[in-house]
Formats: sequence, C-alpha cells, structure tokens
Amino acid sequence: MSSVGIKSYAYCLNHVPEIGLRYGSTPFTEREEKGESEFLASLPSHVQSWEKAASYAPNLTYIGALSYDEFEAAKTPWIENYLPEPKRYGKYGEIMPEDEFLGLMTLCDVFDLVWLEKSFGESVKAKLLKDPIMTEAIVARLKGLHELAEIEAEVKDKKARALYFGGKVVGCVRSGHSVDDCLFAYVLMENLACKAGGVLALLHLIKNAGIKPEDIDFVIECSEEGAGDMNQRAGGNFAKAVAEIAGCLNASGVDVRGFCAGPVNAIIAGASQVAAGARKNCVVLAGGAIPKLYMNSRDHAKKNLPALEDCLGNFAVLLVPDDGTNPVIRLDALGKHSVGAGASPQAITSALTYEPLALIGLSFKDVDKFAAELQIPEITLPAGAGDVPLANAKMIAALAVMKKSIEKADMDAFIKARGTIGFAHTQGHIPSGVPFIGIACDSIRAGHMKRAMIIGKGSLFLARLTNLADGGSFIIEASSGGSSGGSVTKEDVKALILEALSEIAGKLA
Amino acid sequence: MGKLAGKKLLLLGERDGVPGPAMETCLKNCGGEILFSVSECFV
Repeated sequence: MSSVGIKSYAYCLNHVPEIGLRYGSTPFTEREEKGESEFLASLPSHVQSWEKAASYAPNLTYIGALSYDEFEAAKTPWIENYLPEPKRYGKYGEIMPEDEFLGLMTLCDVFDLVWLEKSFGESVKAKLLKDPIMTEAIVARLKGLHELAEIEAEVKDKKARALYFGGKVVGCVRSGHSVDDCLFAYVLMENLACKAGGVLALLHLIKNAGIKPEDIDFVIECSEEGAGDMNQRAGGNFAKAVAEIAGCLNASGVDVRGFCAGPVNAIIAGASQVAAGARKNCVVLAGGAIPKLYMNSRDHAKKNLPALEDCLGNFAVLLVPDDGTNPVIRLDALGKHSVGAGASPQAITSALTYEPLALIGLSFKDVDKFAAELQIPEITLPAGAGDVPLANAKMIAALAVMKKSIEKADMDAFIKARGTIGFAHTQGHIPSGVPFIGIACDSIRAGHMKRAMIIGKGSLFLARLTNLADGGSFIIEASSGGSSGGSVTKEDVKALILEALSEIAGKLA
Repeated sequence: MGKLAGKKLLLLGERDGVPGPAMETCLKNCGGEILFSVSECFV
C-alpha cells in the first residue's frame, strides 16, 4: 500500500467586501451592462462588516476557531445567531480584514502594478507587522506608495482599476499592457489577489507545521485563475510565485487545474510525487477567486438577506512521507470520474465513493465522514442551488442502499452521521472537500475518527471544451506504521526470505 | 414518456443535481426534440 502523510494544514479567509462590490462577476457585469442599477444601489446595504464575518459560525469553523462538533451544535440559522465575539485567528489560520489584504496584495506585487495611497499604505504596513505570521522582511516588500492624485490619474487615463476602503479610493491595480487582455488590470488584480491568498495560507502552514520556509521542497497550486499573456494564456505559474514571497528558497512549483476538482487532483499529484520519493515534501495550496465574490448576491438582495459571499478563501496542505506519525492519504483507493463513467448522479457517486472503497475491500460504513462540496447552505439555498453538501450526502446514502451496505430505513441516520455540513465560501475550488482535511486529520489524531473521504467535483463544461464534469476522491485514515507498514508486497516477501536465508547461511558457515 | 412525444425540450441541468447530459440520455427516446441542453454551476 502506498500512503503519504498529511503533516499540517492552514485555512484562511480574506474579508474583501469592497473588492467584491466592484469586481465580483455579478456586480461587475451588472455595472458594465446597466450602469448603477437598482440592484447595485441596494447591494451595499446587504454587506456584512468584518466583525460580523468574524463572528459567523461557518467562517470560524473554516479557520479552526470553532471545532466541527461546536459547529454542528451551533444554533441555526447562523445569520441570526452570530457568535458573541469576533475572532480573527483560529488554529488553522485567520480572517484578514480588507485593508491589510490590500497591503498583502501590494507586497506580493513584483511588477509595480499595485499602488496604494501613502498614508493608507503606511497604516496597513504597521497593522501587517502585528500579524504573527508576518516577518519584517516580507512586510518590507510593501512598496509602491503614491499620492492620491497619481492613483486617480492612473485610473482615469491608463485603465487602472481602483481599490477602495471605507468607500474611498485608496489605491489601484495598473494595467500591464495596452492591447493584451490577459494583462489588463482586472485580470492582474484577480491573479495578484489569488497569489496573496496563497501566500497567506502558506505562511500559516509554515507556522502550523513548525518548519522553516527553506524546508519546503515543492509547491503545487490549484486555484481556478489563469496567469499568462496572450501568447500563453494561463501558462502559470502561481506556485513558484507564492513560494518566492514566502521565502521558500529551496522550492520549485507548478500549477494544476481542474475547476473545483483541481485541489483533489493536485493533492493526488503531490502525494504521488512524495510517495515515489521524487519530492521530499510537497505543499498543495490555492488562493481565492475575486469573480466569485457576491456571485449569488442578486438573490440575497432580492430576499433581503446578508450578502455572505464576501470572503476570498485559501488553503495549504503539507504532504510528507508516511513515517507512521501522521494521518495518511491512501494512494491505492483513489476515486476517478472517467470519461466513460457517465453523467448520471448514480454513476458519478459510484465512481467517486463505491469503486475506490471496493478496491480495498471497504464499504460505505467504513467511512466516518464523506466531505463532498462543502458550500455554506445559507449562501446557496436562497439562490436556488440547494444544500450542496446535503445533496451529495443523500446521493451517497442512496448508493449505499443500492449496494446493500445499509437499509433504506437507515438513510437519514447515515446522512446525519456521515454527511458533512457546509462551512466554506462559494469560491469554486475552495469548498471542494479540502476544507475538511484539517478537521479529519485532527479527529484521526485524537482517535475520534477512523476514516474520511474527501471528494471534489469540477464543472469542466464551463470552459466550452467538453460537456463532461469531473471528480476525484481520496481516503484519509490513520497511518498503519509507515509506508512499508501496510500490506506486504512481493518485494517485501523476497527481502524477508533473502534475510532469513542469509541468517541460516551465516549460522551454517 | 409518451406525453413528451412531439414536444420541444429545453434541458437545464446542474452539476450537483442532475446534469444536462444525464437528462439527454434519459429523454433521447421520449419522442421529443431536445433543442437545448446545458449544465450550470452556482458554486
């Protein structure tokens, strides 16, 4: 059996309502097509403050400030039951306020693209230095401070995109080219925000793992953004750019893409390289997606609800060789939605759950938690998209009945016990199973959980290349004692026989 | 399926529900004409 250890993990949110109000794809498109419409006029009144976002039970669960058990017990609806005090930090990461995130974007820029107004930039610098994961060397990268008049001229005359805080212009992202739309200010802003989110997650991961940046050997980035120019649109490479800012001098990296199935596939790719000995270790990470901010806000505004899609999500996971001390990913039981599998919910669910379990002689009841698509239901339900994690749990339960693993009467109990409640933002790749890795590993270490399955699904059809969707899955469980401590291979038997024979030969001599 | 015979069909699917291609497969012999089929993603 091939297995790879999960040493550590980090999960952060960047609360960025003002970026979302202007550059989330829904408000941005509305403004481009209709100008300042009624919807756009009403949207700011539905925005929640950082204090609210940092008191919202799903957000606190994402950063590890609330345990999953506490989250399950939290009173619903969460939007009417905010926790008494906002919390910036949790055991996995933090919820960073927007002014500091603009500073983080600026220090992640190495092409003089992000300009901040002087006094705003200085105040943000001072705040960033108080973040326990920041170093003076990283914050010293924050340059590009300008007079407001220069910023306004750049926006007015040179197609820069303005950055706001407190409703006022405090900076801009400049255009990188006059003709190449891959390098226009909007795209560069999206990419720099994604890079900055990846950096934040990586810095928290380094702290959580108790390692030095130089210890990291390889980084795989798996967001849904595309960095490149008109000759190599989305050529990459976010991974190495993120590693550079975090000071990972010995790392290289590459990007893996697959829509929302990107993270699961990236983790499988990273784990395979570590298991093969090709990499000493591998960080899989991603920042968030500006266009998905306030994606469903039209429905939230219409129903007079808080517009909750105000956070960029990001994560990082450190994969290491299985030395018996960490929870592991099993590489002999990977779920794969193949081209020929079919598009029906039954076929997809079977390919991602039943088939990998059958490969290693396990049944549905051998998995304590199925984590598939963890979107916060209070975001998706008002938009008519349903409770996605619950829908997935129902499909898994129905398949378990068909495969005679459970009785039909036990479906509800199965869903309640083994399904997962959504606590991740609708950031595409972010909610696709991976937010549960930290919770699963902590529960396995504590002996409260035996096994979890992480499931990601990707909407490939959105790229107009194929009508197919995709999906992948893997199992996390306790280590059986190291990468050679699992089932015995033919090579293990040969080595044992040779050892025994040489012992006998030694005694006879 | 008889009631769909001669009808024109617009199929709006969803990734985590029933995708467009799955509906196409189910309805291909219903006697109706599939004019449009799509899967959407809201997450």
